[in-house]
Amino acid sequence: MEAFTILAQEADKAAAAASSAGFAYGLAAIGPGIGIGYLVGKSVEAMARQPEAAGMVRTTMFLGIAFTEALALIGFVVFILIGL
Amino acid sequence: MFALEFPPINEILRWSDVFPSFNKVAIISVLAAVIASVIFLIAGNADGSKAPKGVRNLAEAIVEFIENQIVMPTMGRDGLGWTPFLLSLFSFIYLCNVPGIIPVIQMPATARMALPLFLSLLVWVVFIGVGFKHQGLGYLKNSLFPPGVPGPLYILVTPIEFISTFLVRPFSLTVRLFANMLAGHILLVTFALLTKELVQGGNIALVPVGILPFFMLVFLTAFEVLVAFLQAYIFTILAAVYIGGAAHPEH
Amino acid sequence: MLTAVVTYGSNGPEVLLSASEGEEGYSEYTYADCSIIPEGKDPSEKIESLGKCDPGPSPIMPEAKELYWGAGAFILFALLMRFFLYPRLRRSMDARYDSIRGAHAEADQARSEAEAEVAAYEAALSEVKAEAASRVDAARATLEQERSEQLAEANARISSARDAAAAEAAAAHEAIRGDIGSAAATVAARTVELATGRAPDAGAVSAAVEGSMTSGATR
Repeated sequence: MEAFTILAQEADKAAAAASSAGFAYGLAAIGPGIGIGYLVGKSVEAMARQPEAAGMVRTTMFLGIAFTEALALIGFVVFILIGL
Repeated sequence: MFALEFPPINEILRWSDVFPSFNKVAIISVLAAVIASVIFLIAGNADGSKAPKGVRNLAEAIVEFIENQIVMPTMGRDGLGWTPFLLSLFSFIYLCNVPGIIPVIQMPATARMALPLFLSLLVWVVFIGVGFKHQGLGYLKNSLFPPGVPGPLYILVTPIEFISTFLVRPFSLTVRLFANMLAGHILLVTFALLTKELVQGGNIALVPVGILPFFMLVFLTAFEVLVAFLQAYIFTILAAVYIGGAAHPEH
Repeated sequence: MLTAVVTYGSNGPEVLLSASEGEEGYSEYTYADCSIIPEGKDPSEKIESLGKCDPGPSPIMPEAKELYWGAGAFILFALLMRFFLYPRLRRSMDARYDSIRGAHAEADQARSEAEAEVAAYEAALSEVKAEAASRVDAARATLEQERSEQLAEANARISSARDAAAAEAAAAHEAIRGDIGSAAATVAARTVELATGRAPDAGAVSAAVEGSMTSGATR
């Protein structure tokens, strides 16, 4: 019987944790989403203006995406950590 | 209607040991190294004097990709000596990522923390070592006290530089690779489960709806092909950027 | 460290979580999934069945076995690549590139040689052309000269013939003139002799006739 009450408490905690994990990930995705959109948009603009520099712009764009995306991914890890 | 019982993440990643302390992820990482070695071995054995074809063509294409797309834009001509390291990094990570979408295997070895952690710590050690080798103790000075900053600001700049260079770099390298691959794996699992639940859930009316998550599953599998390549590329190019930056502070 | 994560993260019973220790132990931790008691069994049996249930690894923490298998595989691969695979591939690639570059250089050389030959041929051609042109010019000049010579000769012949004809005509003219003069003088002398009965001086008559003829001719 004791084990069941423990389980029930754990389930409550798990539900709270799941919803807060969802919030955490949702918040963490906003900034990088805007950032990557802006970054890629600007890069496409630059490539369209100077097609001869497209290779360099693309390399830099991937680097920028990698740095920006890291934030969203940290949010994802936090999501796992909280939801665990 | 129906209830989807989604397993906890731990269960997605649970693989029983083949023999003690050797599980599926270990198999995949060992296989990745073996397959990459075999590819380059066959390529090296092939006749190099004619136009390359088959495996040799593949290997040469990878080598030239590393040289022209990763080494040259980030380190320039001086960095060509790093090609073998970056080449092995790239092929190993790619071959560890790709099993995530190969049916039956369906598990990227990099979706577990161990491999990304090890690789980024290796890169961390390498770029710090390169910094000390090329600049001596000046490396610490250049990276912690960047020139051209007014004196009092160093109180602010130095801790930030320390954190961003020596702590955040390996951390973000690890998390980027690991979280990308794990997220892709979880997405594939989600849509596969959804399809299964709709088709086999016992409700006849829902069976045709099951085609929707199935298409999503196919699309995501194609997307994961791209992600597997892109993450290997990004990891390698960031390693190149860090090494190049440590070798030449002005870059 | 490993124990701590699993303890706080999982929703499994705490009793079991604290029961096992050591790094290897956590793979035997249990989850709520495994703790359902089979019907008609005593809850105390559950503990034993829980111990055999594998919850799967923590998604965040690195697993030691994966770490050292992966690390070992990568290090071996990287060393193999650095000291054996890559140099071999690179060497044959470089050899091929060199041979291609050599072939390119050879082709360039052959092309420049061919171009030099073409230039020499063109020079010879233009020389021959110039010579032909000069010969044609010389022939034309000779022709022109001969023609002009012949023309001049013909002209000379024509003019000498014309001169001879003119001289002949002048001589005939003079002869006719003398004849007319003498006839006129005879006529005049006879006329004067008939009129005066006396023969006039022949010299005066011929002078007068001559004078009138000349003036008549001029008039």
